[in-house]
Amino acid sequence: MILLLKKEFRLCLHPAALVMLATSALLLVPNYPFGVSFFYMALGIFFICLDGRENHDAAFTLALPVSRREAVRGRVLFGACLELMQLALCAAFAALRSRWIGADNQAGMDGNLALIGQGFLLFGVFNIVFFPAHYRDIGKVGVPFALGAAAMFLLITLDVVATYAVPFVRDVLDTPDPAHLGAKLACLAAGAAAWLILTGAAIRIAARRFEALDLQL
Amino acid sequence: MTGNDAPLFVRGLCKRYPGFALRDVSFALRPGTITGLIGRNGAGKTTTLNSILGFVHPDAGEVRFGGLDMAGNARAVKQRLGFVSAGMTYYTRRKLRTITDVTRSFYDTWDEAAYRRCMSRFGLDEDKTPAALSNGMKIKYALALALSHGAELLILDEPTSGLDPVSREELVEVFLSLREEGKTLLFSTHITGDLEKCADRVIFLRRGAVAVDQPMDDFAGAYRLIRCPGEVPPALRALALGTCAVRDGHTVLLRREDAEGLGARIPALDEIMTHLEREGEA
Repeated sequence: MILLLKKEFRLCLHPAALVMLATSALLLVPNYPFGVSFFYMALGIFFICLDGRENHDAAFTLALPVSRREAVRGRVLFGACLELMQLALCAAFAALRSRWIGADNQAGMDGNLALIGQGFLLFGVFNIVFFPAHYRDIGKVGVPFALGAAAMFLLITLDVVATYAVPFVRDVLDTPDPAHLGAKLACLAAGAAAWLILTGAAIRIAARRFEALDLQL
Repeated sequence: MTGNDAPLFVRGLCKRYPGFALRDVSFALRPGTITGLIGRNGAGKTTTLNSILGFVHPDAGEVRFGGLDMAGNARAVKQRLGFVSAGMTYYTRRKLRTITDVTRSFYDTWDEAAYRRCMSRFGLDEDKTPAALSNGMKIKYALALALSHGAELLILDEPTSGLDPVSREELVEVFLSLREEGKTLLFSTHITGDLEKCADRVIFLRRGAVAVDQPMDDFAGAYRLIRCPGEVPPALRALALGTCAVRDGHTVLLRREDAEGLGARIPALDEIMTHLEREGEA
């Protein structure tokens, strides 16, 4: 798996994905729906898969001594690595924001630990929608991305609404750190657990679909 | 050849698509030979290769590589197998050096000295990207990668398509030298002139089935071609395997034994193929 991840980083990393990492800095913007920062990395993963299709990545990978299942796991884990990098950068920018600007945000969740938990959940949902749909037919990238992005924006919208309409979210989670740290850590842990479960399921379903796929190369 | 002796053994391969079916394709390659897989566009060449390589799942049939099937031995089989396709260019903006570095890491059997020899022999510069290579050079780079991990069997899908005659000639010379080194090549093409120069055996696919599987010399020698001004006489039409219209009449493909005394000539491979495609229409 290390070899496949090395292959992904050296051959498949699209410059757009690196640019998307920089969108973590959006957490410094006053009153911005921070969940959108996570969407940008989903866009980066979309560009990687699109570029992979144009560069016959599947044919190259399957010509190597690896199985289809390993090829899928390599690609999804590559996406997962980028997501973790985005989350780490967002956490760093959230810390900077609360120190220099103040964590308060009127357009959704504050830049705090609960936001990172939400980011995990958003990425998990994107992974479980996008990768199985993409590996049903690797020639198709746009429709799976549209589905994944739609799911993410639905959750982002719900989050913004919840910060006004749901008392627990408004009064406990949507507050500057370190207030209500226990609840936010629980939110972070729940988000990370959801991400692990959903990403693992995405690998299993996508691999099963890819193994059944007839590739017209 | 048996399933255990042959570098590639295919038996009863079937694959059905809407409007096309690969039907009971069977053949075996002999070690150290070049086999041409010919047929018109849509005859099933690429479907056959994709089924052999496991890119598509055949409905039925058996494929063995030196006695091993791909499903249970993918890693071992791919160590000994090289696939080169003219239509496929990988990572056009990455340097060859980067692509090689990644490829090298997957193979226990990588031979760096062999790789350096291939790059030098083919005149390839590692600092170039695939986008900067001609089509012929792209094929040579793919061959260099395959040969450097010790591939004994090379499957080539239309390797000379889109190349100028000089580049095609160069590649044919490369294929012949690989055969001298003991490599086995399966070479799919519809440019039959290239095969006439290098193939030991010909497999002719027609409408998804193997129409001919013969040594090249037997295949080429089994037919004769005559030219008829105007219409084909009925007596000749009865013997014809296929006819094609030409500027001043028709050409007729006959079995060699039917053509004695008729002033027929030995046909080229593409003439045999085009006439046999018309079999039954005569």
